[in-house]
Amino acid sequence: MRNQRFTVFASTAAALLILSACSSGGGNANNANNAATAPDNAATAPEPTESATNDDGASAPATKEPVKLRIYAAYFDDDTKKPYDYAVAELKKEMPNVELVLDPSMQDDGQKLRTYAASGNMPDIFQADYKTMKAFAASKNIELLDDAAPTAQFKSDLNPGNEPVMITPDGHVYSYPFAGIEFQILYYNKKIFADAGVEAPIKTYDQWKDAIQKFKAKGIVPLAIFSKEKWIGNSFFKGLLTREEPQGYAALTGKELPDAFELAAKQFNDLKDAGLFDPNATNTNYDQASSMFYTGKAAMLVNGQWEIYSADKNLGADVDWMYWPAKDEATYEASKFNMDGSGEPGGFSVSPTSKNKETAIEVAAFLARKYAEFKYTQLGNPIVSVKIDKPVVAKPPAMMQRLIDETLPNVKSFAKLNENVKINTALDDNTQNLIVKGFSDADFDKNMNRVLASENK
Amino acid sequence: MRHYFGNKWAIAAFALPALLLYSLVVSYPVVQSLYRSFFEWDGIGAGTFNGLSNYAELFRDPLLATSLRNGGIFALVLVVFQIGLGTILALVCADIKIKGRKVLKVGYFIPVVLSVTVVCQLWIAIYDPTNGLVNRLFELVGIPYRQNWLTSPAVSIIAIAFVNAWQFMGYQFSLLYAGIKSIPEQYVEAAIIDGCTKWGAHRRITIPLMAETFKFCLIVAITGGIGAFVQMLIMTSGGPGTTNFTLTYMIYRYAFSEFEYGYACAVSVFLVAISLLATVIINRLFRQERMTY
Repeated sequence: MRNQRFTVFASTAAALLILSACSSGGGNANNANNAATAPDNAATAPEPTESATNDDGASAPATKEPVKLRIYAAYFDDDTKKPYDYAVAELKKEMPNVELVLDPSMQDDGQKLRTYAASGNMPDIFQADYKTMKAFAASKNIELLDDAAPTAQFKSDLNPGNEPVMITPDGHVYSYPFAGIEFQILYYNKKIFADAGVEAPIKTYDQWKDAIQKFKAKGIVPLAIFSKEKWIGNSFFKGLLTREEPQGYAALTGKELPDAFELAAKQFNDLKDAGLFDPNATNTNYDQASSMFYTGKAAMLVNGQWEIYSADKNLGADVDWMYWPAKDEATYEASKFNMDGSGEPGGFSVSPTSKNKETAIEVAAFLARKYAEFKYTQLGNPIVSVKIDKPVVAKPPAMMQRLIDETLPNVKSFAKLNENVKINTALDDNTQNLIVKGFSDADFDKNMNRVLASENK
Repeated sequence: MRHYFGNKWAIAAFALPALLLYSLVVSYPVVQSLYRSFFEWDGIGAGTFNGLSNYAELFRDPLLATSLRNGGIFALVLVVFQIGLGTILALVCADIKIKGRKVLKVGYFIPVVLSVTVVCQLWIAIYDPTNGLVNRLFELVGIPYRQNWLTSPAVSIIAIAFVNAWQFMGYQFSLLYAGIKSIPEQYVEAAIIDGCTKWGAHRRITIPLMAETFKFCLIVAITGGIGAFVQMLIMTSGGPGTTNFTLTYMIYRYAFSEFEYGYACAVSVFLVAISLLATVIINRLFRQERMTY
């Protein structure tokens, strides 16, 4: 009897344990949590209106029903929060029946979004980069927008040359972009250059090597680079490469590395041997590298044009940027408007499983326009996807103004994408290796040739 | 007690929840990984069955050799520092004549309870080629051997492995110390009375009697070395290039950067197989009659 009672007790306890483990809630709890985390960011608009079109050419949905859309977007610093808040405030005016519930995206290389896709829990609207776009297109987790209502108008409103940020290489549209084609430049500290007797801008490699020696003699790191992130070493390489090969990595179609790549690798290696980089460069993050530059420990910094605002804030009139040096002055002049940047599709995309797909598409296009509008009008940043017909509110920093007046009207080319993941990964690895002593341009050539032979069969 | 052990229903009732939970969180993912390793799969869709292609690709992948070499070096450093040094320190702390033993024991274990991230950041600063403690110390004593500890392909894997060895030496130390304390003191005392030195007695009695403890410590150290990941991720992001890749880092890259989940599953299966092989070999090496005392 005791034995039986014990068995019953033990079985009941086990069953309770299992049941309690299973009852912790799934999707509903998550949704409640998502909603709870974003009350400040929700553009709540309980009163429906009859809005049908807006001044940006995007037609508003005909429905008057309140619509709630979950959006997965970056929202973690001023660069991401301010445009989002601006766009949401504008949305409230244009589509008051739409409520956005923000699910702030993680800086996790798209993992959370992929988990949503794998578990069938996709947000209505999400920010997608090209890598995610390709994977989601293959698994039908992203809406094809080729024939969507706002697409034709959006395409016609693109700034000249910005087609690559909206149209994929196979000719489709999966997202509405807000950023234009961004590129990398070399920032330099004018005061340090003057103190070391280095003339700016540096135009040739010989001048660059000479400058390195002058900075080193003064105990200054010639160039700060946050090469713990592989992409920046890759961009540095591309900066050298595009002097000779404006197409960039799109030229990697054969089984062997073209001459321009070998030359760029050799120049990279020579600059390293001359002492351009800090010995700890591949272990330096952005905060460390920018701090070196802004505290006067480094003479130059390589980063995208978006660094202009931060550089202006930290160094004021002591900072400027320069084009990439080339093998000689003639090449420098001929190639300085070959920009070290390649646009790739990215922006706001829509889930095909959204219950309010049509509205979500309209909202995605609207948000992209408003993000661009914020950057243009509030920051004076002209590098946005679409034309903005509103006046600039903020005066852009002098460096940005120089970019606007001198560079953007004269851009000759942007580099083009290479779609092969293995080739891009190999470039990331081997350009980072080039920064390290002991790894030569010959090693770079050998490794890349092996990958090219394997991938471009 | 015997009464309950004779009741199969009671055994099942107690064991089932744990077994179910184990199956859910361990066995199921392992079986899924094995299954998915035969697919070309991006982690989202259904994937395409491709037989043994992922494994064939794995053995052609130049990263495999790098990862195996680094895993081997990592494991070796752990064995030398954690088990070698841990044994010496455990023997010292087990000696009742040594003063301050409690302080030493606590001190050895403190790094174990620290966050791995904190420890890695600490050692990143220590290894800094310009202002780091290690190079400064060399400079101070006039040794010209200055290194870029975390960027030099020749030494970075050893430097990273040492961080793991340093942090978790206390864990191995506590296992070894417990092993020493479980051996009756009379054996060593008898040997010393018969004229053996203290270290001689340890060499001939204590250490041989700790075979089971050493076996467990070796399995932990070697499988830990083969599958090392966190330190590489935090300290060097696996770089420069792929210099500090291990099998786990390969899995991470292929799954989360290149979205080749099927291939990453194949690497995972290979990692499990290598770890099991290492465990079997260690078990065979230590196969002997179990001693009871």
